[in-house]
Amino acid sequence: MTVVSAFLVPGSPLPYLRQDNAPWQPLAAGYEKVRDALQASKPDALLIYSTQWFAVLDQLWQARPHLTGEHVDENWYEYGDLTIDLRSDTDLVGACIAGCADIGIRAKGVDYDHFPVDTGTIVANNFVNPGGKIPLVIAANNLYHGPGETEKLAAMAVEQADKQGKRLAVLAIGGLSAAYFDEDIDIADDRIRHDADDAANRQLLDALANGDRRSASEALGRFNEGTKADMGMKHLSWLFGATGDFKGAQVHAYGPTYGAGAAVVEFNL
Amino acid sequence: MSQGKIVGGFVAPHPPHLVYGENPPQNEARSEGGWEPLRWAYERARKSLEEMKPDVLLVHSPHWQTLVGHHFLGVPHLEGKSVDPIFSNLFRYKFSLDVDVELAEACCREAAAMGLTTKMMRNPKFRVDYGTITTLHMIRPQWDIPIVGISANNSPYYLSVDEGVEQMDTLGVATRKAIEKSGKRAVLLASNTFSHWHFHEEPDVPEDMSREHPQSYEGYKWDMKMIELMRQGNLKEVMRLFPEWVEEAFAEVKSGAFPWMLSAMGYPEIPAELHGYGTVIGTGNAVMEWNLEKAAARDAAVA
Ligand SMILES: [Fe+2]
Repeated sequence: MTVVSAFLVPGSPLPYLRQDNAPWQPLAAGYEKVRDALQASKPDALLIYSTQWFAVLDQLWQARPHLTGEHVDENWYEYGDLTIDLRSDTDLVGACIAGCADIGIRAKGVDYDHFPVDTGTIVANNFVNPGGKIPLVIAANNLYHGPGETEKLAAMAVEQADKQGKRLAVLAIGGLSAAYFDEDIDIADDRIRHDADDAANRQLLDALANGDRRSASEALGRFNEGTKADMGMKHLSWLFGATGDFKGAQVHAYGPTYGAGAAVVEFNL
Repeated sequence: MSQGKIVGGFVAPHPPHLVYGENPPQNEARSEGGWEPLRWAYERARKSLEEMKPDVLLVHSPHWQTLVGHHFLGVPHLEGKSVDPIFSNLFRYKFSLDVDVELAEACCREAAAMGLTTKMMRNPKFRVDYGTITTLHMIRPQWDIPIVGISANNSPYYLSVDEGVEQMDTLGVATRKAIEKSGKRAVLLASNTFSHWHFHEEPDVPEDMSREHPQSYEGYKWDMKMIELMRQGNLKEVMRLFPEWVEEAFAEVKSGAFPWMLSAMGYPEIPAELHGYGTVIGTGNAVMEWNLEKAAARDAAVA
């Protein structure tokens, strides 16, 4: 089996930077469970897709062997800085770039120091892969790709890992409902902005917990129709494309990130 | 202290390609040139700016997008390397800039007093966005004038174009009040592309100008219509058509810099000067100037 574990995790830096804030604490605790489960699955590489890394031309892949430095989020800069420590599995990244041609998608690696890696990728890596020991394969969210292309890309990446005989852990980094508070709030009182979003988030999480890929895809379709979701939930499309079928999931945490919905979910493969 | 004033304003778009084409020492990537007409447009704008003798440049950029309110750079000196997330092959620029924190704080206060959510950005490790940097480099490559950097609040996308414009109108008035009280000569920079329809593939040689033209004829026609209205000084009509322009030309002005600048200048019914127009990866870019001081001097001479 190539994919040995798969997780949905939030890309907001808030639960990471303020783990003591009560409404965010469950998400941080959920992230710790993911770290343990992920490490236990002994992956050779982490396959990452974060809704916050935008591409508009080619499909981009992070090709820098080692990225270090400090990152300050453009919105949440007052909550603190994030340490960057990302290592790429450059062999697998190279194979993914080459593999894109076979599925008709133009692709390119980015290999530059000070590249503006997105907050979600940094937060997730810091939570689950402290010290950056597990090498990464990070794919951008091309804004012009729909769920279909996104699934195809993920499946292609798994195929390449399979060819290299590597075990993959999959991280889908992003939120649920996207509506947030657009004015200052007391973060101790953070909650999901709209009740309808809260209900829709819970329904989707139920469907993931108790479904398989087919029923979860249907639930995702309904969720996207009724809810303004984070990037149309393409991170879940990525995960579905990578895992193929799955047998339910464990929802480790669900909560708000400044009004938007977020969850930590571990899929049963 | 005499009253401060807005001496003028520029539409000053930020495709990193323009910096790349110019090959300044700060940028790591090297080119054979490209986008000359637009770069020459900026050359003309640079001369005008020089004559304006501003104490401060205020720039509003779509690529510092903030969810909760309107933010202002609030650290006296910021430096680092800015790598464009989309065009990192073209733009890897070492920047070093000074912020007029006093004026930024004043703008922030005035805007808050008028009911907007505002915030001062105080993190010294903050990475200034590539839109701000490109616009500033293109208009003033010497980097010798302090700046005020203003974020683009997400309201036009999160709420509606109309609600976004309303906030930008308020932000513009607040900006003007703060400048007037400051006693400083200020120039405003709206860091916006017009039509934003773009190609989805980059030529192997990005500066191969045989590949450069408007991606969308509709977008091009919209830009020409709006530029012509600006050249006539008909900003009422510009603002009436604004939502349609945004919608049909996918115009980047949606993000707020352009309406902010017009509001701050009081929607002056003076002819704007077009320094040049050109496309970058198919998008429409105009370098335009409203010289308020010159227009006032002309009026005085006529009277
Ligand atoms: Fe832009």
